[in-house]
Amino acid sequence: MLAEPGHYDYAPYSGRPHIVWPGGARIAVWLAPNIEHYELEPPNNPRRVPWPRPVPDVLNYAHRDYGNRVGFWRMADVMARHGVRGSVSLNVAVCDHYPEIIERCCELGWELFSHGTYNTRYFYDLSEDQQRAVIADSRETILKYSGQSLDGWLTPAITNDETTQHVLAEEGIKYTLDMVHDDQPMPVKVRNGRLISVPYSLEVNDVPLFLNRNTPVERYTAIVKAQFDQLYAEGAESGTVMCLPLHPFLTGQPQRISALDEALAHIVAHDGVWLATGREIAAWYTEHYYDAFVAWLAAGTPGGRR
Amino acid sequence: MSGPGIPNYLDYPLRRRGLDHDRFLHRNLPQARPVVWPGKARVALWVAVHVAHFPMDMPRQPFVAPGGVDRPYPSYWDYTQRDYGNRIGIYRLMRALDARGLRATALLNSAVAARYPALATEIAASDWEVAAAGVDMGRLHHGGLAEADERALVTEAVGTLRGAFRSKIRGWHSPAHSESMRTLDLVAEAGLDYVTDWINDDMPYPVTAASGGLTAMPLTWDLSDLHLLFQQHMDTGEFVEQVLRAFRTLYAEAAQTGSGRILTLTITPWLMGQPHRIRALGAMLDRILEHAGVWPATGAEIVDAWRASG
Repeated sequence: MLAEPGHYDYAPYSGRPHIVWPGGARIAVWLAPNIEHYELEPPNNPRRVPWPRPVPDVLNYAHRDYGNRVGFWRMADVMARHGVRGSVSLNVAVCDHYPEIIERCCELGWELFSHGTYNTRYFYDLSEDQQRAVIADSRETILKYSGQSLDGWLTPAITNDETTQHVLAEEGIKYTLDMVHDDQPMPVKVRNGRLISVPYSLEVNDVPLFLNRNTPVERYTAIVKAQFDQLYAEGAESGTVMCLPLHPFLTGQPQRISALDEALAHIVAHDGVWLATGREIAAWYTEHYYDAFVAWLAAGTPGGRR
Repeated sequence: MSGPGIPNYLDYPLRRRGLDHDRFLHRNLPQARPVVWPGKARVALWVAVHVAHFPMDMPRQPFVAPGGVDRPYPSYWDYTQRDYGNRIGIYRLMRALDARGLRATALLNSAVAARYPALATEIAASDWEVAAAGVDMGRLHHGGLAEADERALVTEAVGTLRGAFRSKIRGWHSPAHSESMRTLDLVAEAGLDYVTDWINDDMPYPVTAASGGLTAMPLTWDLSDLHLLFQQHMDTGEFVEQVLRAFRTLYAEAAQTGSGRILTLTITPWLMGQPHRIRALGAMLDRILEHAGVWPATGAEIVDAWRASG
């Protein structure tokens, strides 16, 4: 086992190359709806049991199924009303199961990136060849259903194995979301090729908040606003990234959708906000700042208040 | 480094259009046929009450139903707190609903009717609908149950309630929303016609069973008092806030789409029937009922209106 991921060196939040987002924006805000299918009878994985109850886990399966039948549509309407696009963390088998969902995403100009094939097919213990096969499947499926290239990656259920980031880079993935170590994009150390991390979030993510931390619905809005307000303030010094991960089966419920509506109203009311997709953030950073960050890291992160 | 992998882990035999099982068809709510409720109401208000019996010696396997006995045997703490619901809480709920002209659907463990015939009489006198909800909370329907054993559970649950109530038993709820892949067949075989376990929609939809069609009804779990108050430790105010937010969303959607919606209020006597909560429940109901276009109905009435509206 490894004692650390090994994909990045320590980088203080001080003295970093100065980031400015397009149009002089100080914060890049992106929304990542996780559009998923959890299988009723998934295969076994040595390191994780897919369902808390014996198969068929009707309660938990159906709860997630709600997202594709109902929640997604409600959430997409609210996002469209605020002029905010999604960058879909997509279990690509959804393209085959529910192509109407993909049509709606494309109609709204959303990005599709891969969240693996199913959320019940973990990367734990996959060989590198198997990981490559999943990535190739994702690339082909997303291209076939949307005409888009596969640029971004979040391992299903964040079950990446030790080699996953290396394989992603070798397969031409441009940005990974498997690490939540920063509020700015960062170069990822991989054995071949080039990969960056784009900030995702487990803090303003509806799964930990609503399922694990029992967050009241008004509190959710307050947390999202507070996250935004701080990153917006810090963005005056150097551009920050805020990701709002979403799960239609939770936030798309009728008792919660107004909380998203209120949070988005707060965000879009500000100037200097770049409402971006993951791909756009990755491309801007890679074009304008990747080399500067690599050089700064190589020089021993000079320029802070030390 | 990377190992040999997991054999056959990337086979996807059910990767296809629609769901990965054959119980019902995938449906996107915006594409569902519009529904017109009686009086052109916007929102049907379905009050569904879990009337449950939790045996003190309930088994821990295959899992403990939410609300089930949690502490070491003999847990008077767990047993009597739940039993309170059938002695006191449900009478308080009946009064609060009666005062507003509302009738609920009791999702009734048959053990409650068998143990407490006086309560069964009161439920019948309140003109509530009775839906079968298995035998008790320790007798779960699950994939490891033999077919004959599961059929016996359904037969006992439905038979007991048919003996105790003159009204027709039409609905089914499996304890803890747990089913085997046979449960729906057995429920249809027992002559029931609507089911409530798959919490995947806001509206009814057709379900296929070996011995006939069923209608799935949107009982709530995420918005139930059992989940919010008991499992998630929210306070009563948060439960009320979430129900009212759901109501506002559904009420607005009904106007926008021209299709009726359903607000299901899923409540539990040992939780919402507590003295410190009952007035909040009443006030919440008043907030909902002050709106025009709210149709209070039982599960069976909603099923009938949904079918007639097609």
